Amino acid sequence: MSNFDEHTLANLEKLCRIRCTPEEKKELLLSMGKILDYMHQLNEIDTSNVSACNYVLQEMAGTELREDEIGDVLSREQFLANAPDQIGGMIRVPPVIKIP
Amino acid sequence: MTKKLHHLSALELNRAFIEGQIRAVDIAAYFLDRIQIHNPKLGAFLSILAERALIQAEAIDLKRSQNKPLGRLAGVPIAIKDNMHILNEITTCGSKFLKNYRAPFDATAVHLMEQEDALILGKTNLDEFAMGSSNENSAFFPAHNPWNVKCVPGGSSGGSAAAIGARLSLLATGSDTGGSIRQPAGLCGVVGFKPTYGRVSRFGLVAFGSSLDQIGPITTTVADAALAMEVIGRHCPQDSTSLTLPPESYLDTLNNTNLSEITFGVPWHFLENLAPESRTNFSNSLDVLKGLGAKIIDIDLDICKYAIAIYYILATAEASTNLARFDGIRYGERSSQAKILDDVYELSREEGFGAEVKKRVMLGTYVLSSGYQDAYYKKAQKVRTLVIRSFERAYDRCDAVLLPVSPSTAFPLHSIHDPIQMYMQDIFTIPANLAGLPAISVPSGFDNNGLPFGLQFIGPQMHDVPVMQYAHAYEMATLYTRKIAPAFEGT
Amino acid sequence: MNDSSWEPVIGLEIHVELNTKSKLFSSAPNRFGDEPNTNITVVCTGQPGALPSLNKEAVRKAVQFGLAVNAKINLISHFDRKSYFYPDSPRNFQITQYDEPIVIGGAVIVDVEGETKIFGIHHAHLEDDAGMLKHFNTFAGVDYNRAGAPLVEIVSLPCIHSAKDAVAYASAIRSIMLYLDASDCNMEEGSLRFDANISVRKKGEEILRPKIEIKNMNSFHFLEIALNEEIRRQISLYTENPNQIWEKLVPPGTYRFDPNSKTLVLMRRKESADDYRYFPEPDLVPIRLTQEYVDSIQSALPELPQDRYRRYITTLGLSEHAASVLINDKPLSDYFEAALRLYPNPRLLCNWIMVEFTGRLAEGGKTILSLGIPPANIAKLAQMIDENRITSRIAKSVADDMVKNPLLDPETIVKNNPDYQPVSDPSEIEPLVDQVISENSQTVADYRAGHEKAFAYLVGQVMKKTRGKASPQVVNELLRKKISIALS
Repeated sequence: MSNFDEHTLANLEKLCRIRCTPEEKKELLLSMGKILDYMHQLNEIDTSNVSACNYVLQEMAGTELREDEIGDVLSREQFLANAPDQIGGMIRVPPVIKIP
Repeated sequence: MTKKLHHLSALELNRAFIEGQIRAVDIAAYFLDRIQIHNPKLGAFLSILAERALIQAEAIDLKRSQNKPLGRLAGVPIAIKDNMHILNEITTCGSKFLKNYRAPFDATAVHLMEQEDALILGKTNLDEFAMGSSNENSAFFPAHNPWNVKCVPGGSSGGSAAAIGARLSLLATGSDTGGSIRQPAGLCGVVGFKPTYGRVSRFGLVAFGSSLDQIGPITTTVADAALAMEVIGRHCPQDSTSLTLPPESYLDTLNNTNLSEITFGVPWHFLENLAPESRTNFSNSLDVLKGLGAKIIDIDLDICKYAIAIYYILATAEASTNLARFDGIRYGERSSQAKILDDVYELSREEGFGAEVKKRVMLGTYVLSSGYQDAYYKKAQKVRTLVIRSFERAYDRCDAVLLPVSPSTAFPLHSIHDPIQMYMQDIFTIPANLAGLPAISVPSGFDNNGLPFGLQFIGPQMHDVPVMQYAHAYEMATLYTRKIAPAFEGT
Repeated sequence: MNDSSWEPVIGLEIHVELNTKSKLFSSAPNRFGDEPNTNITVVCTGQPGALPSLNKEAVRKAVQFGLAVNAKINLISHFDRKSYFYPDSPRNFQITQYDEPIVIGGAVIVDVEGETKIFGIHHAHLEDDAGMLKHFNTFAGVDYNRAGAPLVEIVSLPCIHSAKDAVAYASAIRSIMLYLDASDCNMEEGSLRFDANISVRKKGEEILRPKIEIKNMNSFHFLEIALNEEIRRQISLYTENPNQIWEKLVPPGTYRFDPNSKTLVLMRRKESADDYRYFPEPDLVPIRLTQEYVDSIQSALPELPQDRYRRYITTLGLSEHAASVLINDKPLSDYFEAALRLYPNPRLLCNWIMVEFTGRLAEGGKTILSLGIPPANIAKLAQMIDENRITSRIAKSVADDMVKNPLLDPETIVKNNPDYQPVSDPSEIEPLVDQVISENSQTVADYRAGHEKAFAYLVGQVMKKTRGKASPQVVNELLRKKISIALS
């Protein structure tokens, strides 16, 4: 049984930088535990001699690495066209305070 | 032209255009008209690129009049799922977060199709960030099934499947992470193909589950899917997971297979809980294949009953990091309430992401987090290896695996609230993503309410061509692909 | 407080920015100092749909480094995603190598104040750099020019036991990178940065006491001050609070060095360890190298600093000091090598390059390289001195002229200035020798009485009269002849 409670949810919100609405929190407290419990069924399987599948291709896609050349440069104009806030060619964000 | 344009296949229309029977601008106008009339009740398209399409059409007509060589998709109307980039057009991914995001580059697959003179009509609806099996998670509006507009078209490529099902376009692209091409194709009575992992470039596809995602075609016939694959199934140097293989010939060899030499595997035990109507339809399909000479054997894919658990760990883990970039800093909607940096992140993501996206991002973060990674993420990666081995053992004895594409036909909108029940829609499609296998959904009949069933062929890695051959043989013997949803058959 | 009974335990993490043309996973230009957000692509700005693509030259330089420190090259290594949110991160995860890095082990051998020390390396890996955050009062600006730049991070074993050793180790790493031409190691521009983990313990203690982290030091000077400051602080804490729990005295934290106050400033505490949630990067396949590839890089390795140092001392006979200075200034060392190839008198060349010319240029802030004097010209000057075509006195004047006209070669300078032609015609010198003898009869007498130094004085007087142009050999001969004649 996974113990997914308000504390877990609050920590997760912080880790993912997502704030949930009260309705969403309510729903998540109900469903997340259920989903995590569902996943526990994987414990039924013995994987003691099994290696993790980190790369699914049988033949690795390619051993050809990229040549060290400049290409496909994105213009600053195009980059900033989607920017929510910019100043002096930079993306502008609220001041970043370093707090101990 | 005697036949209505939207009753033609892409191949037929391409031929008609090349032979000079019709102009590209007329083709564009015809389908744009259909979209204008039918999209409001279907919600298949999020954006319609009418002006762009007409300009493209004019250019193609000019090319033809100058006797210049024409592309393989010349004159073919195409719909692009709205999680793939068209340079300078909006890519929303079905999300409020990106409602104003203008793509700074073309997806490779899109670029390849435009190089072949495809006529892009617009961007299709999807579950937000491709997370869903019903297209109900779109932040804008749901899409509807052409066979019954009160029902879902499936997801996440619901818009593309609905568009093809209603013949608002003749070819569409979808993306498939756990079944998002095949399941909606099955629910909408059309063909949907997921290639071997790495066969089609993911460059320009907004990533959901990086080790699972593939772009593929949704079409009215298997031959059209073959045509599309010849265009987009190419190595891409910008995608490091793209197979370094030469393009394959899908069309020329489509008729080559004699099914009497083929053995199909069916994991009966895995299918033991299949609903009666689905089971009947599936068995009928097997009879058709047997009638064509194929042998059917029983195989063991019991491990696949864990597929959903594995998938929702791995896909959400990858997605939690893939979606971390949506933070309101460089692009996307930044919350107007944000005064400090933390607000920029938290409020932008709160306002920009829908509930299902938030849930999956949090789930993915959880299964990767310290203390849980071994139990969830690493465990799932190991069981994934077992799934791959299971298929390998099966393919020692058969040429392809057969499964229904989904546990049921299309269900009514807003009828499924239990997340696990919704996730179960992908039970038959997820295994092919976990093992990187090519898989296709072909229409296989209708239920008592006239809603389509789909049959799925799954082949070994890099057996994309044979999988298409089997599906084509089945299609030619059944011709379910000829049936168009009644409400959209006429004008 | 008895400092010598305590042993500092230091581990250094050095970030070196490679000097490839393009970035690690993106083909954007890898350049410093341009207008913000002008060296970017869709990949290094984290656009949705963009995918990383590994730069083969970055891999090669990482392998070169591994071989230069005698490490093991992992023929198969892979990348991992390291998640954290910060505005200078385009994807809010860094692509790094967490559990299977490309270089494992290795060591650096350094001379520290006459003692040869070996510092062990734990591993080195490839990762991409973050962009730059520029802080203003009411906002911050983000520039992604540096985002995605290729870094090699070198993690030492905790085997460094003094600030001096730390500087020696860091200098050696820097030197190796320069000699490999893998990085410009420009610390002002941030292409070489140090993080240190530091704790202290009683000498003989085997366990490690709690440590703190100091991040982003970018000069050897600050590195040394910061480490010494922290060593002193930790030792005081332990000696003044002998009964306190160590973890309370030295709680985990990340600090930065403030160059103005010359103290450490706390950046953040580590209450809950950062959960980076490392997992294998699915968008990249593992790096697969062949032994042939590694061998070919090994055989093409350029001369490394420690090897060049040894050659300078044993083969060329330079002093340890001269060799050290040259090794630590690779451009100057290369200049020296170029001159040496043209005229093989290493000590003479070394003296002229490092003492004579450097001395002349020190005030103006220029170097022999920035001035543009071709090494061939220095070589020619040395040759002319050796062959007695000019006296060393004249050579100094020629050197002054070379500084004024960097491109003019010494032969031309001498040809154009009659004052520089040494006078060897005895008939020209003889009268002056006679003059000196007659003007300095006492000194002549001293010489006859056995004072050799007096002779040198007489030689000097003749040279003065010839304004240094006389051939010293001829002066010598004439003087001795005339004095002995006078004797008889």
